Amino acid sequence: MKVGLFVTCLVDLVRPRVGFATLRLLESAGCEVVVPEAQTCCGQPGYNSGAREIAKSLALKVLAEFRDCDYVVAPSGSCSGQVKRHYAGDLFRGAPEEAEFAKLAAKWYELSEFLVDVLKVRQVPGRFEGAVTYHDSCSGLRELGVKQGPRALLRQAGATVTEMAECEKCCGFGGTFSVKLGDISTRMAENKCVNIHASGARVVAGGDLGCLMNIEGRLRREGDTETRVMHFAEIIAGEA
Amino acid sequence: MSAREKILSRIRAAQGRAGSEPTEAELAAVRADIARRERGPQPGIARTADPLAQFKRECDRVGTTHFEAESLAVVPGAVARYLEANGLGRRLVAWHEFAGLDWHAHGITVDDRPARGDDGTGLTGSFCAVAETGTLLLLSSPETPKSTALLPETHIAVASRQRLVDTMEDAFALLRAERGELPRATWFVSGASRTADIEQTLVIGAHGPYRAHVILLP
Amino acid sequence: MQVQSMFFKRTSSMKLDDPVLQRNMKHAKGKFVDLRAKAIVEIDNWEDIRTHAAALRDRTLANLDAYLVEFERNATRRGAQVHWAETAEAACDILVEIARANGVKKVTKSKSMVSEEVNLNERMEAAGIRIIETDLGEYILQLANEPPSHIVAPAVHKSKEEVADLFTVAHGRSRTVEIPELTLEARLALRDHFLTADMGISGANFVIAETGTTLTVTNEGNADMVTTVPKIHCVITGIEKVIPTLEDFATLIRLLPRSAIGQTIANYLTLTTGVKGPGDSDGPEQMHIVLVDAGRTRFVGSDMQEMLRCIRCGACMNHCPVYQNIGGHAYGWVYPGPMGSVLTPVYVGIENAGDLPNASTFCGECQVVCPVKIPLPDLMRKLRERQFDNALRPWGERMAIRAWSFAVQRPKLYAALAAVGSRVAAWMGGKDRVIHWMPGADGWTRGRDMPAPEGKTFRELYRSRPSAKGGGAAISPSLGRGQGEGQP
Repeated sequence: MKVGLFVTCLVDLVRPRVGFATLRLLESAGCEVVVPEAQTCCGQPGYNSGAREIAKSLALKVLAEFRDCDYVVAPSGSCSGQVKRHYAGDLFRGAPEEAEFAKLAAKWYELSEFLVDVLKVRQVPGRFEGAVTYHDSCSGLRELGVKQGPRALLRQAGATVTEMAECEKCCGFGGTFSVKLGDISTRMAENKCVNIHASGARVVAGGDLGCLMNIEGRLRREGDTETRVMHFAEIIAGEA
Repeated sequence: MSAREKILSRIRAAQGRAGSEPTEAELAAVRADIARRERGPQPGIARTADPLAQFKRECDRVGTTHFEAESLAVVPGAVARYLEANGLGRRLVAWHEFAGLDWHAHGITVDDRPARGDDGTGLTGSFCAVAETGTLLLLSSPETPKSTALLPETHIAVASRQRLVDTMEDAFALLRAERGELPRATWFVSGASRTADIEQTLVIGAHGPYRAHVILLP
Repeated sequence: MQVQSMFFKRTSSMKLDDPVLQRNMKHAKGKFVDLRAKAIVEIDNWEDIRTHAAALRDRTLANLDAYLVEFERNATRRGAQVHWAETAEAACDILVEIARANGVKKVTKSKSMVSEEVNLNERMEAAGIRIIETDLGEYILQLANEPPSHIVAPAVHKSKEEVADLFTVAHGRSRTVEIPELTLEARLALRDHFLTADMGISGANFVIAETGTTLTVTNEGNADMVTTVPKIHCVITGIEKVIPTLEDFATLIRLLPRSAIGQTIANYLTLTTGVKGPGDSDGPEQMHIVLVDAGRTRFVGSDMQEMLRCIRCGACMNHCPVYQNIGGHAYGWVYPGPMGSVLTPVYVGIENAGDLPNASTFCGECQVVCPVKIPLPDLMRKLRERQFDNALRPWGERMAIRAWSFAVQRPKLYAALAAVGSRVAAWMGGKDRVIHWMPGADGWTRGRDMPAPEGKTFRELYRSRPSAKGGGAAISPSLGRGQGEGQP
């Protein structure tokens, strides 16, 4: 089974260890993982900024890079949402490439979906004893329906999932929104941090690096250097 | 070109059709669509085995009190007890259909006229009741003025269990079958008037009645 | 209402720092969101009803001209006069003229967002006609001389103390902050107006083609007063409000109050059809229906037509994390929240409301709660596309997208830039590994640190990995090895 790893631009640039955690999870489950070197970005920042043509050319690039893979996995609900919902569903709707993008969407999985639904992993390699609160990132949750998967995987690792209030509420990241309307974005992150602290957990996990950077950035600005902010892949791969 | 023609031609142009007026064929298609009177999906609460229980449950939720009476003749007594229990005066303004009941025996004075701004209690009938939402459907006519249900502080309505339908769709079907057309005012009432416009705090008695009471006849 | 949407960014920041507003918004949020959630679970086929409702709205919009003409025919048959207004000014002209021709001195009005769009109150007052808002929230705002901040609960931004201050002045009674007493004060003040107004103006939640009916949904009963007592009843509504049949209304009313405020049904569903008949003691002698375009036809037939499905429940704003934090006034026009971020730029010009389509993280909550399934994030994105294509966003932002676009399409260049960027940013993070200030990202670093990168990119590390394939060494003995289910 040849699995393409879509690293995502944020993991590549900011948190390579999330990429390696993903790699470890896939390889240890027996997947033959390929990492196309020319990959850059799924195009979502351009797409959501109104740069439709740029988004389309990046979509074609992604399509070409992963054409030979049986599956593609990304440690991000947001990028996966872009590929699975918006390539065939919008950018190439009615275009000659639509069917190919529909095929790409069908073989593309967000990491937790792939581990739970395809690989049917029963025991993740990592061990993590302690309370973790989980932030549901919007795209994964609402575009892909990712909800129980990451929690089940965290429990497999031995973690106790302590739900925070409004775990499904947006953290305020929103890609370029976080810079363009920084004050509103900050307030949303602040609200998220209040809920994280109230949960009592000292670890907050999520499935999208953008949200995690936003949350971590706000926690640190508030002077909280203790609460750990991690991608669930790090925890379940045993790299926490 | 009139505003009407301009708006219609803009719509038509946007939808790839020429001219400023729908064609006869287009209008016929729309009338055919209307004539289908297609019902939307009906929720479980609209298909209950016991519509009366559903009706009463919904009345309780919106704060409409209810009383089951055996016949029209006992309505004055039921009204008297309700007025007494709520500390209300023994004077009513009522729809004409109730003016002939024996109110005198219960010490109640009834005015057979449309309500004015200062009437305390209004007594009306209803066209039918809707179980799904605990709602009464009222229709206006010279004998059934809307003001009687609206202006007084207390609204007492008489409904018939025989005319309790499951849904609003059923109510409309009954209305078409019996009346053909909608009267000038056709209105669904579910409980007393209310507002939550200050701090989303519910207050009963905004501009219409403070109290709503249903007397259910067989 | 005068457009203030161009000041969104500044106003929203001010609203974030307004402690009274923040308290009021927090309070309201809990009510709207929780009550809706409880109300919709009682409907076992909520999704089916949504789907049906969206389809019926689409079907009507696809033949909007014919449904409007059919509505007009039936309304006219029942004695109403139907007027058409292309613009806000035209709508006001029509209503002012009706009032003048009939010697109207005083008008009572039930809530109508279209009347806010067209500035009706101002125009009426300028013509010497007194117009009195009768929805409690709108009445409060008329006293405060403020526009509504929410389409269902117009005064949601006001505390009871603020209302008490307004009422003390307006009613000349001793001040109370008890909400039932404040409500009673308004009832008493408005009752007399209801009975003595020469003309009533209402909006319409829907108009029904089958019967020529206009329809209002209220809890207070004020629309019933306005449509019953005065000798003239005028309806002002948008052309998109037409629905085919009474059955369609039955479908939509299952969705509307539940989505709006978590109520099973609104207290008064008021269908008015034509003028009073012979012998009727109440009801108007004249009924006028003003069908307003004012930008709506710009949506018709476009790739954004879905917006016209909107039934004005307000669920999108109630659930929007942006709205929840800044309130409605920041949006600068009649319609706040996600629906406003789509409507306002199209109605008043995208150049006057450029931040609105960008005032969303695309979290998608609005689309999930929308009772008629309007893909609000997609529509906001389409507006962003118009901005991008017409160079309507700030220069710096456009250049950043161009530069990013240039790099991401050139993998070697991108890899090199990422490697440098990762190192520089890691260095900037210092030993705390957080960056406190980042050039070009002040919007972020004003209120947050930026977690620093690790210093090398994934692709660099991956390339130098001992075994870039196979990964046998990393196998965990405890790992379950369920195989995939074949090709998807």
